[in-house]
Amino acid sequence: MQLKDRLGSSDKNLRRVRRKVEDVKGLSITSLLDVLTIILVFLIKNVSTEAVKISAEPGIRYPSTITNDAIMEKAEATPVKIFTDKIVLGNESLEFGHPQELILSPDKRKAILDYLRMEATAIYKNNADDVEACLIIQADNFIPCEYVSEMVAIGTSVGYTHIYFATLEDADWLQKESLATR
Amino acid sequence: MAHYRPSEMRQQKAQTAPQEPNLVPIMNLFLTIIPFMLMLVVISQVALVALNFSQGEGGGGSAGGGGGGKEVEKVELIILDPQYAEKYGFLGFEIREPGMDSAKLPAIGQEYNFVALDKRIKDIRNRKADLIDITVTVYPNVLYRDLIRTIDLCKANGFTQVHYTRPTARFY
Repeated sequence: MQLKDRLGSSDKNLRRVRRKVEDVKGLSITSLLDVLTIILVFLIKNVSTEAVKISAEPGIRYPSTITNDAIMEKAEATPVKIFTDKIVLGNESLEFGHPQELILSPDKRKAILDYLRMEATAIYKNNADDVEACLIIQADNFIPCEYVSEMVAIGTSVGYTHIYFATLEDADWLQKESLATR
Repeated sequence: MAHYRPSEMRQQKAQTAPQEPNLVPIMNLFLTIIPFMLMLVVISQVALVALNFSQGEGGGGSAGGGGGGKEVEKVELIILDPQYAEKYGFLGFEIREPGMDSAKLPAIGQEYNFVALDKRIKDIRNRKADLIDITVTVYPNVLYRDLIRTIDLCKANGFTQVHYTRPTARFY
């Protein structure tokens, strides 16, 4: 009798209870939609609709300035990037050799002049009369002014009426400088 | 014989669970828009310092704006480079102002003294409130950073017409 009882109780313990399988719910899109809405609002706020887009080049150390001049409303710009080891021209980012060649090589100078003349001519030809050609110079902090001056000279000689130098806005650079000189 | 009308309950439909709006088309739209927005977004803002070459001189590197035929009083600010310093023993700024002796602001070591320059430009501004033209003459080996800082100080102190020139070599 005791054995029978024991067997009976062990059977009860060994009884397996299958957990009720829950229905697989569909993916909740609502939370994802919330995230996307937030991103969308942020992007709409930051999106640039300006015709002339200037992006900071990672290989260039930009000088800091207090002032920030707005680019002309009716302007078509040609970017000129002077790195420490290369010159890159135009929206197509064409490489035109080392900055030193701008001074030392007349052929290189002529190639740059021809390219900028072609760009300026295209700007004036393809746009309304009141559109002006601008040159946006993005140069490294430690480039000698000789190269920049030469580029400005070439640009103005082929018809670029406005020259812009790309910088990073820092209202406190002079204060930092005065602290450093103390 | 009693006439029974049909029960009102027969007209009522069985209650169903409220349906969620179909969000899939909205999701598709969002997923299309967001990559485009990401392409157009401006992450880092670059400031600009402008020089206007549309009037007057133009070309040859000795270009500048303003003028328009009328002789305007100009202050000249010369940034001297280390090569000049080797030859003449002075590195720094030289300021030439009409009716005044030229002033020299020596560099501190190899660094230009922008704090003193700012003070000097403010003095000129106080003396000549209407003056907006200034000429910055830069020697070839001055660093681009120092040129931009000089132009920036001029602009920050109200000299909106900054003329940018190179020193001219004269042979006799």
